[in-house]
Amino acid sequence: MIQRYRASAGIMLTPAATLIGIFILLPMLLTVWLSFQDWSTQTPFSSASFIGLDNFREIFGPTSVGRDFKGALTNTAIYTALSVVLILPLSVTFGLMVYQHDVAGGTALRTVLFSTYMVPMIAVALVWSKLYSPSEGPLNQMLGLVGVGPQPFLSSPRSALISIVFLNVWQQVGYFTVLAIAGLTQIPGSLYEAAKLDGANRFEQFRFITLPLMRRTLLFSAVIAIINAVQVFEPVALITQGGPVGSTNVLTYHIRRVGIERAQGGLGSAMAVMLMLSLIVVVCALFALANRKDQE
Amino acid sequence: MSAGSSSWFARRRPSGRKALLATLMLLVAVASAFPLVWMVLSSLKTPAESMQVPPVWIPHTPSLDAYEKVSGVVNVGRSMWNSLVIALITTAGILVTSMMAGYAFAKYHFPGRSLLFSVLIATMFLPPIVTLIPLYRLVGSIGLNASLAGIIVPNLANAFGIFLMRQFIAGVPDDLIDAARMDGASELLILFKIVAPSVAPAIAALALFAFVYHWNSYLWPLTVLQGNADAYPIVISLSRLLSYNRGAVNTGLVMAGATLAVLPPLILFVFLQRFFVDSIVGSAIKG
Repeated sequence: MIQRYRASAGIMLTPAATLIGIFILLPMLLTVWLSFQDWSTQTPFSSASFIGLDNFREIFGPTSVGRDFKGALTNTAIYTALSVVLILPLSVTFGLMVYQHDVAGGTALRTVLFSTYMVPMIAVALVWSKLYSPSEGPLNQMLGLVGVGPQPFLSSPRSALISIVFLNVWQQVGYFTVLAIAGLTQIPGSLYEAAKLDGANRFEQFRFITLPLMRRTLLFSAVIAIINAVQVFEPVALITQGGPVGSTNVLTYHIRRVGIERAQGGLGSAMAVMLMLSLIVVVCALFALANRKDQE
Repeated sequence: MSAGSSSWFARRRPSGRKALLATLMLLVAVASAFPLVWMVLSSLKTPAESMQVPPVWIPHTPSLDAYEKVSGVVNVGRSMWNSLVIALITTAGILVTSMMAGYAFAKYHFPGRSLLFSVLIATMFLPPIVTLIPLYRLVGSIGLNASLAGIIVPNLANAFGIFLMRQFIAGVPDDLIDAARMDGASELLILFKIVAPSVAPAIAALALFAFVYHWNSYLWPLTVLQGNADAYPIVISLSRLLSYNRGAVNTGLVMAGATLAVLPPLILFVFLQRFFVDSIVGSAIKG
């Protein structure tokens, strides 16, 4: 019997394991291997030649390769941090709005918020490039109505990256709101009843019950938000091409430009490895922080 | 929503608080809906209306001219068809591979199970850019570059699907499966005839997620197609509209294109959002 199911397990797992093995795990190992090679993306893997840490030296070096990469790394870090810092509090706020029973329309609000998550990023980029348009864009016209002068948005190096963050937050916050609602449903109502008997006001209930019990949800949301944020590509590729003056040159865009368009596969792979390592460090740090709080 | 939740905002409160909350909720909804509403309204404007200052928010005489003009710039029919083929085949593949692997992880005991599961699940957190360069070369070397197959084949299995299916199949009673085994049913038959119907909502959710994700997907098709316009999905074709994005005169055209690409996933969502929401909630809580 056991033997028979072992064979079945093999059959059941083969399609998924083979596909993921060939198209995700193997390329991941190749990325690591290529990061130590001098290799052009237009040539077979066999033409790669080992050059030790030269690719890493170059992407952190003083030349334009190094400057561009370090700029992209910094831009991605800023972009990711801003996205998370905006998305998490908004998702909890919106989650509380949906998950209350005093004012009707919570489910409708959830539907509206979540619908933006279904929209292809390319359409988001097209629409927002128009909304942000400095002269005739609706955003500047609305700002004009409340007496604020026209903003340059995507056309100034000072505001381009944050403008893309806003677009990203607009698109994704509905998804994280649903995650927040999932977390809120897990909190037993009796805790609030008990807190009220103890005379806790609404803010204290939020601070000492809602937030602590939402920690796992928020951790999960933060990890997903970070991983989503480093993938930003379409608005940059479509609207800004990394500019103005490199201010929106983010890693996914930059790695593709170096590794695919310029066919510098070794250099691009070294950048991809650094991205992977940075992600691992940040996610581990988040988990460590959450665990330490758990032990308090 | 479960009971007991009304305690967060206490029941007795001044109505001013309710009015404030309602206003805030309305503002959030309007801000969230505005870009898409504006997109659709703009797609119905004539070029003259698009250029008017101060702006016309709602077109006086809605016209579908912009949609006709889009078809002159990009091959809308062909692109929509390509997107449909990509999204449907990829989704079907993901469903089959995820159900099979999810069943194995949920209902079989075999050596190395948790290790294999961890390795597969870890790929869920891998941004696609990390594997893009070697994958591009790999897919080229098996001759799938610049084709729909090149877009589809690498995506026929993914960790999220396996994870979701395992979570839900684990809840199917073992007795049900054992009874079918007693009757001599094969494992594949059990999976598709007995297990699948009892996790139908999760399968629906996965199907919707996969369809929308691969309809919207941009980075991989752009990379693998190498400019083969015959195979462009709609999202790639749309980037051609960008050259029309300078100045207000062609706003209608660009927004018509965007609207076309948005409609299929949005319509699916409106009708089936319950499944989307349930599966996100399910995967977050059980995870």
